[in-house]
Amino acid sequence: MNCTPTRLVFLLCLSFLVPLLFGCQQRGEEPGQELSYRLKWLYNINTAGDLYALEHGFFTSRNLRVVVKPGGPERDAIRELELGRAQFGVASADQVIRALAKGSPIVVIAQLFQQNPLQWIYRSGGAAYASPLELRGKTVGITYGGNDETIMHALLAKYQIAPSEVNLFSVRYDYAPFYLGEVDLWPIYRNAEGIVIAEKMAQAGEETGFFAPDLFDVRFVANSVVTTRKMVEEQPDLVRKFRDALLNGWQEALAPANAARTIALVHAHDQVTTEETIAKQLAATRQLMLPENGRMGSIDVVAWQQTEKIMLEQGVIDSPVAIEKALLTDGL
Amino acid sequence: MLHKRISQFLIIYFLGLGLLLAIKYCFGLSDYVIPGFIDIQNTAAAVAVGYLRAVLDTLGVAVIGHLLAIALATVVAIVGRPDNLLGTMIKTAAYNLQAYPIVAVAPIIFILLGDGLPSRLLIAAIICYFPLLLSFIGILGEPVASIEHFYVMTGRMRWQLEVKIRAFENMHKLITVVTGSATLAMVGTIVAEFIGADSGIGYSLRIALYQSDMAKVLVALFLIGVFNSLYLVALELLGLVIQKKMGVEQRIQQ
Repeated sequence: MNCTPTRLVFLLCLSFLVPLLFGCQQRGEEPGQELSYRLKWLYNINTAGDLYALEHGFFTSRNLRVVVKPGGPERDAIRELELGRAQFGVASADQVIRALAKGSPIVVIAQLFQQNPLQWIYRSGGAAYASPLELRGKTVGITYGGNDETIMHALLAKYQIAPSEVNLFSVRYDYAPFYLGEVDLWPIYRNAEGIVIAEKMAQAGEETGFFAPDLFDVRFVANSVVTTRKMVEEQPDLVRKFRDALLNGWQEALAPANAARTIALVHAHDQVTTEETIAKQLAATRQLMLPENGRMGSIDVVAWQQTEKIMLEQGVIDSPVAIEKALLTDGL
Repeated sequence: MLHKRISQFLIIYFLGLGLLLAIKYCFGLSDYVIPGFIDIQNTAAAVAVGYLRAVLDTLGVAVIGHLLAIALATVVAIVGRPDNLLGTMIKTAAYNLQAYPIVAVAPIIFILLGDGLPSRLLIAAIICYFPLLLSFIGILGEPVASIEHFYVMTGRMRWQLEVKIRAFENMHKLITVVTGSATLAMVGTIVAEFIGADSGIGYSLRIALYQSDMAKVLVALFLIGVFNSLYLVALELLGLVIQKKMGVEQRIQQ
């Protein structure tokens, strides 16, 4: 066969295009089908309830076939929902609001964290920050472009602290600047690496505390469960069943009576972290996730509206997205 | 040459962009997944100046890193050129070391040198150094028997003369290798900035990815492509000037 370069290029393009187009096709979301649930991060304490619901039959008892997929830095559940590669996913509030601002047809069906786990660890020496005004003159770590940058700028603006009054330090993957005392406050996930770092500091004889913006009325919502508007409109029963199964899974995973099972389950998926550390992480997660009044997964509309307002004021989004319309607070 | 390089890049870039937009509109995807043309245009207008500065910053580091890598590869290739124990050791080390993924080594470099210019330079240099070194060793280790024979027989052969003969006879190969490694220097700098630096277009890309802003990513890729093409053209022109000055082209034609 005479294979000219043009033909070769055409065939190559075709071989790339065909799988790409098939990959983008919206999969039919029929009852009984396999549902793909994309997490936000790798398996760790923040996925305890998801794993618990899967392993202890909360999905199968409702006749749902669910595949739980770990997330990661390059994974974006919202994109996968739109591309039809997942039917449910976990996304942070800022991801949700950014996506809505760009016209993404997504809906929040449950809010996992009632208090944002993204906090700042500091050497306390037995004393805690009584007010954000005490941040003046301190060196505060932030991840430029990350959630913590938006939250910290919102906090500084709220308490009328000029950015020049605080030394902002660009945070990297290694904690050395914090350990060496070059940075006073370092952003961490309170219930995950926060526990690990606090343990290390304690071993070195240093007391630590956590600076939580929520306590100073800067409420920025964290991880939530999302799906597409089409899914909610066309298959409300399926969405309700999934949400109930998942939230029941979380509720059971966080129950003190089931702690041993939850710890063993998380450890089986995250063997780097010891069971002792996971036990501490679980206790911290319980405090951040379970609302004082109300049920697991409650959507805090006021906090979402404040999150949107913060993002608008920080210029992260150009115009309001009317976030309340994308929150499924009522029954399905 | 400039026109050819730039137009080649533009064709590839806009073909890719066209494909993305076709997928977007075929499947009704939002601007969050694939930004629309207007979104890209607005983003470009908003970030162009900042990104232009960032790309120039990156290019500056890449050029210096590339020069460092060329200088180092030349020295090591000269030392490792003979077929003795030292030469064999250098060749073996070069082949083995180039297998290490730099993204795994980069965090260590950042811990040791901080997140400033030295780390970016070093990573850029390392990424383009090994391909350069292997080519240089190959070129400078290969005898040009027809010319060298005379000097060996008359006892006038010295290592400087040997290097000169082999470099002169393979000048076009050396220039091709140097030009080819320029892209690697650019890639190395961007990788370094992406991992740990606090300036340059790699750093801007990292922030854009944190913000899930694909329009910014596309604008950054466009500028990286344009300036990388310009750097390649500059090197190719320099190569032509050198070859003309040394009369290499005439020799090849003869």
